[in-house]
Amino acid sequence: MQQHILEIKNLSKSYGETVALANFSLDLGKGEVLGLLGPNGAGKTTLISILSGTLRDFTGSVTFKGQDLFADRGLKNLIGIVPQEMAFYEDLNATENLLFWGGLYAIPEKELKKRARELLALVELGARAREPVKKFSGGMKRRLNVAIGLIHRPELLLLDEPTVGIDVQAKMSILDIIRNVGREGTSVVFTTHQLSEVEQTCARIAIMDRGTILAQGTLAELIRIVGEKEVVEVSGEFSAAAFSAIIQQFDGNGMEVLSVTDNQAHLAFADPERIPAMMQHLFQRHLPIADLKIKSPNLEAVFLKMTGRSLRD
Amino acid sequence: MKKIWHIGRLDLKLMVRDRAFFFWVLLFPLAFILIFGNLYQGSKTDAKASLTVLNQDQGRWGAYFAEKLKAPGIELAIVATAPETYLRMLVIPPDFSLKIERKAAQELQFRKDSQADLKAGAVADTKISQAIVKLLAELIMYGNRDMKAFFAARSPYRDLVQVRTRLPKDTITKIPSGFDHTIPGILVQFVMMMVLIYGGISVMEDRKKRVLARILYSSASPAELFGGKFLGRLLMGLLQSAILVVAGLLFFRLNLGNAWLSALNIVVFAAAMAALSIFVGSVLRNEEMIIGVSVLTANMFAALGGCWWPVEIVPPAFRALGRISPAYWAMDSFHQVIFFAKGLETVWPNLLVLLAFAAVFTALALRYFKISE
Ligand SMILES: Nc1ncnc2c1ncn2[C@@H]1O[C@H](COP(=O)(O)OP(=O)(O)O)[C@@H](O)[C@H]1O
Ligand SMILES: [Mg+2]
Repeated sequence: MQQHILEIKNLSKSYGETVALANFSLDLGKGEVLGLLGPNGAGKTTLISILSGTLRDFTGSVTFKGQDLFADRGLKNLIGIVPQEMAFYEDLNATENLLFWGGLYAIPEKELKKRARELLALVELGARAREPVKKFSGGMKRRLNVAIGLIHRPELLLLDEPTVGIDVQAKMSILDIIRNVGREGTSVVFTTHQLSEVEQTCARIAIMDRGTILAQGTLAELIRIVGEKEVVEVSGEFSAAAFSAIIQQFDGNGMEVLSVTDNQAHLAFADPERIPAMMQHLFQRHLPIADLKIKSPNLEAVFLKMTGRSLRD
Repeated sequence: MKKIWHIGRLDLKLMVRDRAFFFWVLLFPLAFILIFGNLYQGSKTDAKASLTVLNQDQGRWGAYFAEKLKAPGIELAIVATAPETYLRMLVIPPDFSLKIERKAAQELQFRKDSQADLKAGAVADTKISQAIVKLLAELIMYGNRDMKAFFAARSPYRDLVQVRTRLPKDTITKIPSGFDHTIPGILVQFVMMMVLIYGGISVMEDRKKRVLARILYSSASPAELFGGKFLGRLLMGLLQSAILVVAGLLFFRLNLGNAWLSALNIVVFAAAMAALSIFVGSVLRNEEMIIGVSVLTANMFAALGGCWWPVEIVPPAFRALGRISPAYWAMDSFHQVIFFAKGLETVWPNLLVLLAFAAVFTALALRYFKISE
C-alpha cells in the first residue's frame, strides 16, 4: 500500500452559523498531485487555512508523515503553502521577495540565493527578477506566489486557487509548474473551482461541496459515477420551479435530473433515443427554451450530479 | 531571535525604499526646525550677567557707586554714552551726586532687553540692590563727615551690608530655547509621526495582503511575528532620530547634554511609539484613516508635550494637561539633560513613565493585533 504523507480526518469548522467544513476527510499519497475541486464557498480556503496552522477552533485531526501536524511547529518547515492572495511585498523585486520568505527558514544564505535563482528560472521570471513586483502582470504575480511557496523545498505543497483571475496562457504555465513540482516528488494539493484544470493536471481528483468530500478518484473513476450517459444542458428564460414541475411529468426511462437552476438545467440519459421526446415535451408545455446542448459524460456532469449545481454559479 | 531580526529589518528597508522617505524624515522636519528654532531663539548668550552702566553723573558719587557693582559674576561695562545694543543697562542720571549731597530722593533707571537671560538678570538685579544698600549704609554712617576725606580714604564700612537674594524654589530661571530645544522637539514630533504613519500603514497592509498570515506559514511563532513588527518600528524611530541628531550636530551645533542619557530617552520613547503604531495599524482599516489619526495624534502630543514651544512658557494648567502626552516626558527629560545638566538621578521617573506608556501601548497592540481581517 502507498504511504500517506497527509491524512485528514473528520475536520469540522464553523463560522458562527455557517458550516465551512463538515467531517472533511482526505488522504494524500506521497508524491501524489491531487486536485480539490469545489465551487465558491465549498470550504477550500478554510481547509488550507487550517492546514497552514493559522486557523483555530476546529475539530478533527491532521496527520503529516505520521505525526500530529499541529503538535510540532517544526513540521511547518516541510510544508509549502501558496495562499489565494498575492501575499508578498509589492515594493520588493522577485529575488528580494524570495530571499525574505526563504529567510524565515533555516537555509544557509548561499544555498538560499541559489534556490531563488533556480525557482525564478522555473517560474520564468529570471529576466525580470530585479523589477519591483508591483510592475508585474497578474500572471507573473501568480507565478511568484507559487515560487515563494517552494523556496524551502517543501515535501508537501498546498495551493489555494493558484490560477484565479489570470488569462489562459498564464494558467497553463502555472499548471505546468505544478506538474513539474509533482514530477520532482513533491506531494501537491491544489484547490480550484475550474474543472478543466484538474482534468489536465491531476492523477487524482476530489470533489467537495458544503465542507465535505463528495467523490474522489481518477478522472475515469469519477466519470463512471455518471455512467455511460449523454448529458443534456437546457438553457432558457425559465425558473427552476417551472422546469422541475414540467420535467416531473415526463417519463424519461432512466433519465436523471442532474441539476436544475433558474435558466439552466442538466439531464442525463441512459437511453439517448429519449432526448427528442423530452424536447417535444418541453416545447408542448411552452417552456421558453433558448439553447440545448448534448455532451458526452465528463467531469462537469459528475460534478453536477454530486452537487446539484453548476460550478459556474 | 533571528526571525525577529529578519522580519524587523525588512520593515526598515521598505521605509527607506519609499520614494518620499527623505522628504518626510529629513527635509520636512528640517523646515520645522528652522521655523521653530528661530521663533524660540530665547536668550542671547549671556552666561556671565552683563551689565552696562551709563554714568552721566556730573559729580563723584556716580563713579563711586558704579565701582560697587563690580563682582565676579558680573560683566561690567561703564560707559559715558548710551550704546546701541545692550542686554541690561543701569542709567545713573547727571544729577546723581547733587541729589545725594542734598539728601533728595531720586530714581535710577534699569533697562532690559526683552530677550535677555532671566537668570543673569536676577544676578544683576541682586548686585544693583546690594550696591544701593551699601551706598545708603555708608551715607548714613558717614553722612556728617568731610566728603573729601571720605573719598580719599578707603571706606571702613565697605562691606557693611551683605545682600543675598534667593529665588523661590521652583522659579524658572532659564527657559530652554534655540536649536537645543527645537531639534529634540521636532525629533520627538517626527518619531511619533513617522513611526505611526509608516508603521501603522505597513501593519494594516501586511494584514490585508495576508503577508502576516504567510509569515506564520513558516515555523515563525506569533510572538516572533509580533516581536519582528515591534522591532521594525523601533528601528524606524531610531533611524528618524539618528537622521535629525546628525543633521543637528552638522548644521546647528546641537548639544545633547549627556549623550547616553539622551539616547536612552530616545530609545524608550521610540519603543512606546513602535507599540502604538501596531495598535493603530491593527484597529484602523485604511491608509487615509491611519494617516489622519497619526498626524492628529502626533501633533496633539507634540503641542501638549512641548515639542514646538517649551512647556515652561505655557500656563500651569496647560502644562499639567501635557502630562497625558508621552512627548511631555521625553521633552522634559531632554530639557533636564540638555539645559540643566541633570543625570539619571533626575530623569529616571520620566523614563519610567515612558516605559509605562510603552507597556500600555504594547498591551493594546497585543490585544488588537490580528493576522487577517
Ligand atoms: N471569516 C469568515 N467568517 C465567516 N464566514 C466565513 C469566513 N470565511 C469563510 N466563511 C464561510 O465559510 C464557507 C467556506 O468558505 P471558504 O473556505 O472561503 O470557501 P472557498 O475557499 O471554497 O470558496 C463559506 O460559506 C464562507 O462564506
Ligand atoms: Mg477560497
